[in-house]
Amino acid sequence: MLFFSFFKTLVNHEVTVELKNDISVRGTLKSVDQYLNIKLDDISVVEEMKYPHLSSVKNVFIRGSVVRYVHLPANAVDTPLLEDATRREASQAASKAKQSSS
Amino acid sequence: MSFFGFETTLPRDQKGSRGVFEQHDPFAGLGSSADADDALDFDQTYDGLGDQLEEEGDTFNDDTFGSGMPVTRQAGRDFDFAGETAKIRDTLLEEQTLHHARMPMQQAVQQKPKRSGYEAYKQPDYLPKLEADASIWGTSVAKKSTPQAQQQYQPPPQQQQMPPSAARKMMTLEEVEAMMQSQPQAQATPPVQDMESQSQGLRAMLGVSGPPPGLSPQPQQQQQRGPPGFQRPPPQGPSPGPQPGFDYNGRAPQILQRQHSPPRQQQVQQGFQVPTPPQLMGFQQPPQGPMGAPPVQPPRGPGHARDSSYSGPPITQAQQMMQMSSQDRETYLAEEAKRAKRNHKIFLLSKNNGLMTPQDKNFITRIQLQQLLTATGGIDNEPGSEDQLAEDFYYQVYAQIRGPPRSGPGQPLNQFAQTYLFQTGSRYGYGRSRHHPRGGDNHVQRMEQQVARAVEAAKARPKNKSLVMEGSLGKIAFSNSKTPRPLLNIKRVDNDSKPRKPVSVADRKETLRSIEKVYSTLMQTEDHERRLPPPPNEDSPPEIIEGHMRWRSEMAELNQQLWAALKVMEPIQPNNGAPHPFIQILSHSKGKKAIPRVFRHLDEQQRLTMLTLVIIHLDVLDVVRDAYPPQDNTPIPPRVKEEVELFAQAVMPPLFSYVNEAPLNIIIGLLGLVLDRVNILAAVRTKTGVSILTMLISRAELVKQSLASSPQPTSEQQEDIGQWTDLYSRLFDTVEPLLPYIFPTDTSVAAADDVYVWQFLAAMGVGASPDQQQRLVIGVKERVMETVAVSKSLPEDMNRKRLGDVNLFMRAIGLDVELLG
Repeated sequence: MLFFSFFKTLVNHEVTVELKNDISVRGTLKSVDQYLNIKLDDISVVEEMKYPHLSSVKNVFIRGSVVRYVHLPANAVDTPLLEDATRREASQAASKAKQSSS
Repeated sequence: MSFFGFETTLPRDQKGSRGVFEQHDPFAGLGSSADADDALDFDQTYDGLGDQLEEEGDTFNDDTFGSGMPVTRQAGRDFDFAGETAKIRDTLLEEQTLHHARMPMQQAVQQKPKRSGYEAYKQPDYLPKLEADASIWGTSVAKKSTPQAQQQYQPPPQQQQMPPSAARKMMTLEEVEAMMQSQPQAQATPPVQDMESQSQGLRAMLGVSGPPPGLSPQPQQQQQRGPPGFQRPPPQGPSPGPQPGFDYNGRAPQILQRQHSPPRQQQVQQGFQVPTPPQLMGFQQPPQGPMGAPPVQPPRGPGHARDSSYSGPPITQAQQMMQMSSQDRETYLAEEAKRAKRNHKIFLLSKNNGLMTPQDKNFITRIQLQQLLTATGGIDNEPGSEDQLAEDFYYQVYAQIRGPPRSGPGQPLNQFAQTYLFQTGSRYGYGRSRHHPRGGDNHVQRMEQQVARAVEAAKARPKNKSLVMEGSLGKIAFSNSKTPRPLLNIKRVDNDSKPRKPVSVADRKETLRSIEKVYSTLMQTEDHERRLPPPPNEDSPPEIIEGHMRWRSEMAELNQQLWAALKVMEPIQPNNGAPHPFIQILSHSKGKKAIPRVFRHLDEQQRLTMLTLVIIHLDVLDVVRDAYPPQDNTPIPPRVKEEVELFAQAVMPPLFSYVNEAPLNIIIGLLGLVLDRVNILAAVRTKTGVSILTMLISRAELVKQSLASSPQPTSEQQEDIGQWTDLYSRLFDTVEPLLPYIFPTDTSVAAADDVYVWQFLAAMGVGASPDQQQRLVIGVKERVMETVAVSKSLPEDMNRKRLGDVNLFMRAIGLDVELLG
């Protein structure tokens, strides 16, 4: 749930979502769900000339499974906190793994 | 046949009932009304008329409406009560409401006991299904249906065909009687003196007008009197008024009368129509028939507003249609067709009403809720709860740090469930309150309890369970979005079972592991800190005090764990090549970052111990060892610079804050350690080493000055000051030969970041004796002059900054750069 938790904090920030089909969409993150499906508003395609069919699209819903990268706004990321959250996630996963294997 | 034991001999009764039979062209689907009667809500449909019933008469109800079908079947009549009534039930409902509303007026004219017979008969037509229907469709349908709505079910063609179809059927005795009775009635002339009461009765019936029985006689009469198109009733018109007992069920005659009333009656009607001008307007629109249309058009009650474009008067029989212009007729027919179509649709849909019982719906809702809970792993997402913090740590803390969350916190499952419940509840409440006042709330409560139970159950269920089928070799793992099914299930070797490596052979991995241990302990401590119970006072109940005590003991235990994890107390092994474990922890950037957070949770003694350990190992700190200026004056690698900066930002402030409150004797001890154990020559050429020395010296000078200014320094203080002076002299002697080299060498003088050196020199200069001051100046004179010279060529702000830096030192020894100028 760390990624979900993390992306929730980026709501209303501008992000660039790079899809697995090489299209990069920049827009305001409106919402994200547990599958990391992404809703973007006020979008613009990075290489607009290459994908003219997207030039009139104003907002998109992106299925989480087709996302390759999400470019984050660095100032919206609290790195120490993210480190701690990662540690928590890791320790939880470890304890779960221990539970399930025992 | 005696329904409800009424006097069937009364002519009006028979007439009314006959009307029903004739009207509802009949005649199929007998079985659909089979179970109609036992589910009726008599309180609602019955107007308390049951009081007038003879009790023993009820015994025949089953015969009449229920299993007693044979009775009617013997009569050779097929009554499709359900089907026919369903078509007009909306109207009937409305009629009934209006009827209730006008009861008082009606009672004034009509005698209640006699009026009831017919309506009681009507009741079985209300199917329970249709009651449920009302709750789903709401009132909108019922409101739209007007008396005209009935007409669509008796379109002219049907009316034309009715006589033959009726004739085809074998009539019961009473029907024959009723038919015979209706003829004289229809032709009877109302006496003048009865007109007044009759019109009142009319008015009472206005809203009520139009139940099927009331309309039903119409075609019949036409048939009796002549062709359907018969436009000219006899001048006297039908007037039921005078006969005793006629009015209680006399809707049919009244409507007849409305349509065929003589001029005198018209005046009366006009009289009471005056207060409702809009209706009057409506009546004047259609073209007048030869007989004078106004009396023909029945006045409409306020509740009967038409929603159609047809603005003419309501038409209750084919005869009226003949009086309309062709255009009006077309409009009217189109409207009627439309309405008929719609109502037919509704009727078709209503067949499915009541297919699901409340229990069925309940069951479905439960399944849905269960799935909801499983989908989210049954996590209690109460904001701020421990579970949610565990699942959603980053978001929760981030939101707390950076202000309120922008969208709703979390995905509130419970809230969702409540919303869901609320919706169902209100729907049930709405439907039930009208028809089954007792059922609704109970149901909602049950659902709420169920949800609570479901939530509990989902929480109790293990998150990552697997099912081992009996006799099977594998096991089935369940997964949801939060705990996806593990593809690999590798049995892990328990970490604790591994042989512990001796700490002395600490390697990089071991150090990193130590750091993670520090962090996990640290986070446990911070979690525990959040759970701080409210501080107890004398009045607190024992359990609160006990809870507080438990919290404190747990906190102390965590503190011990944290302290152990830091490895500060590991024995110092000077002969060992590897540095102290704590120093190794400090050599990693995330180890440095942990220090300010750890420092908060340490007590004074632990802090001092840590500070001491750092100072003893000052020359082996990575930020000192690696940052030692290379021989060839090459720049220090960026990675090392970053570490130095990080050390200055993360480790120094807590140490500095501690030193700033330390008494002089501690500073003396620390500086003594530096002089005894540390290679000052190495330390003093690095930024970190110089900064730590500055920290100690400046604090000591401050304390010394405050002691010196105090009126009567104690002997201990005198002793401390004396000790400090000795130490300072030793330090000065050690540092003096290095003074030209303490400046950073990796960059040019112009770009040098050497403010920390000037700070150190200033701190040294403050405590220096005049002789030492002079030696200081000699030592750094070259650098001072150089800096001043270089800064002249620098831009204004840079110039001022550099001169300011130098002035830190110059002012400390009572000089100023201006003097050099």
